[in-house]
Amino acid sequence: MFKLNLKIAWRNLWKNKGYTLINILGLSIGMASCILIFIFIRYQLSFDENFKNEGRIYRVITSWTAPDSFFESPGTARPLPPAMRNDFRQQFDRVGTIQGGGGIIKVKDASGKESIKTAEDVQYADPDFFEILDFKWLEGNPRQSLSQPNTVVLSDEMANKLFGDWHKAVGQSINFKNKLDLKVTGIIEKTPENSSFPLRIIISYKTYQNQAGPELTSWGSVSSSSECYVLLKKGVSIEDANRSIPQFIDKYYQKDDISKEGHRFQPLRDIHYNEELGNFANKVISKKELYGLAIIGVFLLLTACINFINLATAQAVSRGKEVGVRKVMGSLRRQLIVQFLTETLTITVLSLLVGCVLTEIALPGMQSLFKDHISFSIIEHPIILAFMLVLMILVSFLAGFYPAMVMSGYSPALAIKNKITANAGGLSLRKILVVVQFAITIILIIGTLVVLRQMSYMREKPLGFIPTAVALVDIPSDSIAITRYHTLQDQINKIPGVLSTSYCSAAPSSDFNNESNFRYNSTVNATFQANTKTGDENYFKTFGLAIIAGKGLTKSDTVRNFVVNETMLKKLNVVNYNEALGKTIRVHGKTGTIVGVVKDFNNRSLHEPISPIILNSDKESYTTIAIKLDSKSILPAMQAIEKTWNNVLPEYVYGSTFLDDKISEYYQTEKIMGALFKVFAGVIIFISFIGLFGLISFVATQRTREVAIRKVLGASTVELVKMLNGSFLMMVFIANLVAWPLAYLFVAKWLATFTYRIEVNIWPFILAMIISMTITLITVSIRSYKAAVANTIDALKYE
Amino acid sequence: MIQLTNIEKYYANKGVKNYVLRLVTTTIKQGEFVSIMGPSGAGKSTLLNIIGMLEEPTYGTYEFLGENVTSLNERKRIELYRNHIGFVFQAYHLIDEMTVYENIEAPLLYKKIGSSERASRIADLLDRFNIVAKKDLFPNQLSGGQQQLVGIARALAAQPSIILADEPTGNLQSAQAEEIMELFKKLNQEDGITIIQVTHSEKNAQYGNRILHIADGVVKEDVTVA
Ligand SMILES: Nc1ncnc2c1ncn2[C@@H]1O[C@H](COP(=O)(O)OP(=O)(O)OP(=O)(O)O)[C@@H](O)[C@H]1O
Ligand SMILES: [Mg+2]
Repeated sequence: MFKLNLKIAWRNLWKNKGYTLINILGLSIGMASCILIFIFIRYQLSFDENFKNEGRIYRVITSWTAPDSFFESPGTARPLPPAMRNDFRQQFDRVGTIQGGGGIIKVKDASGKESIKTAEDVQYADPDFFEILDFKWLEGNPRQSLSQPNTVVLSDEMANKLFGDWHKAVGQSINFKNKLDLKVTGIIEKTPENSSFPLRIIISYKTYQNQAGPELTSWGSVSSSSECYVLLKKGVSIEDANRSIPQFIDKYYQKDDISKEGHRFQPLRDIHYNEELGNFANKVISKKELYGLAIIGVFLLLTACINFINLATAQAVSRGKEVGVRKVMGSLRRQLIVQFLTETLTITVLSLLVGCVLTEIALPGMQSLFKDHISFSIIEHPIILAFMLVLMILVSFLAGFYPAMVMSGYSPALAIKNKITANAGGLSLRKILVVVQFAITIILIIGTLVVLRQMSYMREKPLGFIPTAVALVDIPSDSIAITRYHTLQDQINKIPGVLSTSYCSAAPSSDFNNESNFRYNSTVNATFQANTKTGDENYFKTFGLAIIAGKGLTKSDTVRNFVVNETMLKKLNVVNYNEALGKTIRVHGKTGTIVGVVKDFNNRSLHEPISPIILNSDKESYTTIAIKLDSKSILPAMQAIEKTWNNVLPEYVYGSTFLDDKISEYYQTEKIMGALFKVFAGVIIFISFIGLFGLISFVATQRTREVAIRKVLGASTVELVKMLNGSFLMMVFIANLVAWPLAYLFVAKWLATFTYRIEVNIWPFILAMIISMTITLITVSIRSYKAAVANTIDALKYE
Repeated sequence: MIQLTNIEKYYANKGVKNYVLRLVTTTIKQGEFVSIMGPSGAGKSTLLNIIGMLEEPTYGTYEFLGENVTSLNERKRIELYRNHIGFVFQAYHLIDEMTVYENIEAPLLYKKIGSSERASRIADLLDRFNIVAKKDLFPNQLSGGQQQLVGIARALAAQPSIILADEPTGNLQSAQAEEIMELFKKLNQEDGITIIQVTHSEKNAQYGNRILHIADGVVKEDVTVA
């Protein structure tokens, strides 16, 4: 029976080749999109899985609550881990530390000659960290390998890079930061792509303790790269641990601080999804975005299924006779349903096959968009196969069930007398479905337009400084390097194409931000914190910052003068900026006077408001030399700069970035969103419109006789095309009306995440309407015109 | 009114010309009631379709109201349909989705006739054909004869000067057929409408005043009915 059904299904599909093609095209594209989205979401959800004690591992988060601010860091004060180990004995099995850092790694070959010199990120970790997170050890073990100072554990990949073969690495040594020789004591397996822990060089925490300064015992300074992990005891709930936090805070933190410290425990499996806190791998994606993608996937599938339902119910009429005859022959309704579902299943299977091919084709594009290696291997991830099977069954039912019910429900008498008209095929339902489909399409069009407009707004908004053609070149900050700053700057200034240079701690807008308490003309701290930046006298010129009162910083190696921004004065309620000049500021334990006020500039991404800022010079704190270039000679100048740099600082490793690249990195997520929206809006438009084309083809065929009659009654071609198009344009118009409020809600919500954003106006909505109506008109007219000029007599000749 | 000169029509099949009409030459004057008769496959419908400009002859000239319409552009043809020609079909060809009233109204809409004028003309027709009570029904709720009455009413709505009818009673029983024929006769005599019909029945042909006998695409006889 099934084989027979399949054969009949195949013949029917072949008979209606055009519709079959439209169905397969729409379904396969919809399914491919769904599969891609599924693969991506599965990959994202697989981050940091498979640790033995997954459910009991937490990261300690530090927070500060001030009267008008709240701030969280993934880091902890350095003395916290031992204190927590001691005070949370009841709750935690282990408390581990990991500290981020970096420096130059050198390796000598057998003859004692330097064979490798490279700048690398490193982590300092204690054995407890590795007992909490069970990475795979190829040689050594946490206790033996990381208990002593000056020992290092490498990933197999890094060991291969440094020593040729990781099997030979243990026992060798590497030089770190030109001063420490570290002995390799262990090898771990390279951490996978889907890990928040990109561990490649792990130095024992004892080594860090040996070199670190007073911060090691300071509860007042927290770096986001000092992370602490805990392993909850079996049978203890995290609530138990939370209850002990207030007592812990009372014991260790100063009570009179303006901002109150707090702690919470972040579950391991939350780390990848928390955009605020970040992690060592710098790979985060919010769950919200994943949900967004999933919704788009569902939308795509829905549109494709609607195509199918519409075409199937439209065709249903022409199969009425077959149904009648079969029923008279004794077929049960159930058998007919099975037969129609078999047809749907056939189409779905074909679509799935085509969809898999499309997925393979689209995968590289997706990988480069997300800069991640994502695999579509069914063997590696059998869940993908399972998903495809579920998808297939779901689509078959979603698309096939309703048409099967309608067709199998025809009464045999009516069906045989050919008395079933299009209306009986559920025209009103079809109309509703078309409206739903186009509403989805239009929402996506509006969303795309708004996302793209916001992105171009962000690209073009004046930031208060000029980010173009500014190179940021790293500089080492140890005492030897500092003595060569002057020479370096002198030589770089002589390079043709260099317009100005400035030593600084960070560019005006940067990820690297330092928030600090300060005093303004007073002996008590202000009620808010200031963002502090340091730079030399050329800082303002190099970045194109505008001074609006007083003057910029003057040449000075130490802290004497301050420049503040407008926001700072507004927050301090200083209306006349000149009043602020000459007032004292105390910050970081140093006092000086305000000599100038700088016009506000965006110091973070446009998601965030401008901070109150204090600028001063401080040679010790510089990490970067910013170089403003003539945009016509960037390439030769950069080459010359690198050469000069290596001449002056031969022991170090050169590294540079451009400020505008850095700034565009803030909007990585938005860029991806924009790209996805463009692609999926395109796909959904395509699916909807081939569906529409199918539907109008059907309607046109069905109304051939009517068109012919009207023609002999004197209707012109234009009138006929109008008549055939009318209802479609109306449906798309209604879809616009349905889509607008929904799109508005969505767009307003998304824009609300930006402090600086475009106003939502009517244009994207109008434009979406024009786009959708125009494409509809074109799609539908092509087919209607063909119907309207078709030979009249053929339709009227024989009954 | 209609002048056909040497009209030929053939279908080429594998290089062989199958003639449907051969050298048909005839004149039909204003006010005539012509019946075209002949065996099945003789070419009656083809001739009528050529007269109705639904098909083009392969050869020959056709003048309608003194104008050569052998191959007419669409705009002109539509003009003729709107103002001069009404069709009645054997299979009625009413529009299923429209009521009786709307079916009759359709040609008037194409002719862009004002709504009050439309209403009064339709009311007249409904009244004249005794189908006022049926005006809100759909075609599939009517009998065949009633459907054909609506078909004729629709053909008359635009006040054509000629009606072309291909076996208008072919699907009807004799009582109903007589009624339709009486109606044609009345339209011809009282309103002066030219009528050309194709029929198989000698009896129906007697209602008119001229009969064209066609066989194998050739006019064999052209007789005037007394
Ligand atoms: N498209 C076509 N291709 C080939 N031959 C055709 C075509 N249309 C009609 N014919 C032929 O033309 C001839 C005349 O057809 P026509 O419909 O005019 O006959 P008729 O006299 O109206 O017959 P009937 O009384 O059965 O209606 C027939 O032999 C038919 O087979
Ligand atoms: Mg015929």
